[in-house]
Amino acid sequence: MSFLEVSDLHVRLAEFQLAGVSLSLDRSDYLTIIGPTGAGKTIFIEALVGFWEPDQGRVRLDGRDITHELPERRHIGIVYQDYALMPHMTVFRNIAYGLKKHKGPDLEDNVRQMAASLHIDHLLHRKPATLSGGEQQRVALARALIAEPRLLLMDEPFSALDRQTRREARVLLKNAVRERGTTVVHITHDLDDAWAFADKLAVFKGGRMLQFGSLHDVLARPRSQFIADFVGACLIRGTVVSTAKDDTRIDIGGVQLASLDAAAPGDEVDVAIRHEVITLQKERPVSANGFNVVPAVLGHVMPEGPAFLVDMHVNGAGLQALVSHDTLQRLPSREGDPMYALIPRQHVKIVAAQHPSQQPVQEKTRAHTK
Amino acid sequence: MRSLAADSFRICTIGGALLVTFLLVAAIAALFLVPDISDVRANLLSAEMRYSLKLSLVTGILSTLLVMVFAMPIGFALSRFDFPFKGLVKTILDLPIAFPELVLGLCLLLLFGSTFVGSLFKALGLQFVFTKQGIVVAQFFTALPYASRILKSTFDYIDPKLEFVSRSLGYSIWETFRNVSLPLAKNGILAATVISFARCIGTFGTVLILAGGTYMKTEVLPMTLYLNISYGNMGMALTSGIVLTVVSFVAIYFFERAEVGL
Repeated sequence: MSFLEVSDLHVRLAEFQLAGVSLSLDRSDYLTIIGPTGAGKTIFIEALVGFWEPDQGRVRLDGRDITHELPERRHIGIVYQDYALMPHMTVFRNIAYGLKKHKGPDLEDNVRQMAASLHIDHLLHRKPATLSGGEQQRVALARALIAEPRLLLMDEPFSALDRQTRREARVLLKNAVRERGTTVVHITHDLDDAWAFADKLAVFKGGRMLQFGSLHDVLARPRSQFIADFVGACLIRGTVVSTAKDDTRIDIGGVQLASLDAAAPGDEVDVAIRHEVITLQKERPVSANGFNVVPAVLGHVMPEGPAFLVDMHVNGAGLQALVSHDTLQRLPSREGDPMYALIPRQHVKIVAAQHPSQQPVQEKTRAHTK
Repeated sequence: MRSLAADSFRICTIGGALLVTFLLVAAIAALFLVPDISDVRANLLSAEMRYSLKLSLVTGILSTLLVMVFAMPIGFALSRFDFPFKGLVKTILDLPIAFPELVLGLCLLLLFGSTFVGSLFKALGLQFVFTKQGIVVAQFFTALPYASRILKSTFDYIDPKLEFVSRSLGYSIWETFRNVSLPLAKNGILAATVISFARCIGTFGTVLILAGGTYMKTEVLPMTLYLNISYGNMGMALTSGIVLTVVSFVAIYFFERAEVGL
């Protein structure tokens, strides 16, 4: 039995409805939830902590049904985006507030120890309003962790932090939850947070959970174009033309891609390829050496952080590759110029296969063809 | 650079504010300048004024306490919870603000005079018509909407996430109210208390109709002013006016200070 089991959870709040969310986590799992604004991510974790009564569905934690249990009895901690520190209490009192059940002679030692582990022991006498974003974030984390929650929920805890502080906060958080073996659900807009922490990943949109699975599975096999765009992958539709052991050939508008994944000849398949696994070069390589070598035409180039997202066309299908500045310098400079995309066979992932005689398996899945 | 139109607009708006302020200051100054100071001192020490002041303070404090006991949960409920007919409940609770005091007094007189509700309270030993207890009831209904509105706004300003977090840390909704909502609403509670007290002390029409304006029986400060004007005793009337003005000044001073921290 899983540590956290959410089954068919429905929560209706005014005009918004969270519908049919089901997922399960093992003890010490770290789940990251991504999705656009208004996807229902915050309502989902607030339903887990007990602030919203579900209209339908069940939540089980550590073998116990907590669906209708009061929030104060669930032992679930929550850290909000704006940290929700008590403005009328000092940092010390904020952290000590998490120790309701353990107010004893060692309260001060416990608070100081927790504060020291998060490097905020010099701030204990201060009020939250006088702290920086990063310091407030650590106080909120200390207050949640000191209560030793069975499950820790975090709603975009890094979004208000600058890049450097965010990096430091990630290291602190990672150490803090790993040391304690805390099970975590972490909402973020930033896929880097998922890369940094997650064992599992869930994608929400419009009050529904579109995909849930291990981090690497969701990143490598996004089930729809929306998820592919969100996690940085291409999703293209093709037809399986031949199969052999570890060699499935898929036709994409006249170009063949080889994949290690299995499928049956004639199947319509959606193929996912992550942006960063594609290598681009001006000249055709002498040897394929385990790569699919695909002739492509250069499209738009957009900066993406320190790298560049290069759009290209492969016989009408659209692909994107994430390349460094140096690689970009070696590519043709004008849109419409020919070049070659090198795609490792093991990174060509078959997401959804469907025999022509079958009904669609995944209604939301659409090929990204232009 | 400011435009000519913007300048004229600025002059008109500030001019309007200054004109009304001047008229108010002049009216209040007249209240303090017209009477002879030795008369005021003598009037303040008179038996009628001492009775009136004492009754006003006692009923005002009791009514304010009662108002706060009810306004706190009303303000919190209107701010935090959804319930059937919430909009209607809010409108009805606010009605006394727009109601003429005399009409409110008349409604209360009918309710506590000849209906089942009046008989019920009478059976419990509480008689509100033409009694001192009636003063408290009249003041309570007049001041309640002001306090509940201020407290609703106060609780609206407090981030509900603070209460959510408190409950996730093991505190019940009552403990959360005591530890988080109440301390953060401190300024709003002070403001509501002061405004309620000022409204209670100054309530005239509602008290007159429900409790009556009987000399040295249900005579609160506004009633002293009214009765003495009727008798032509301007000295006593002006003195009670001065006392009421001082109370209002103190109330507004505290209200403004408290509001800054809201």
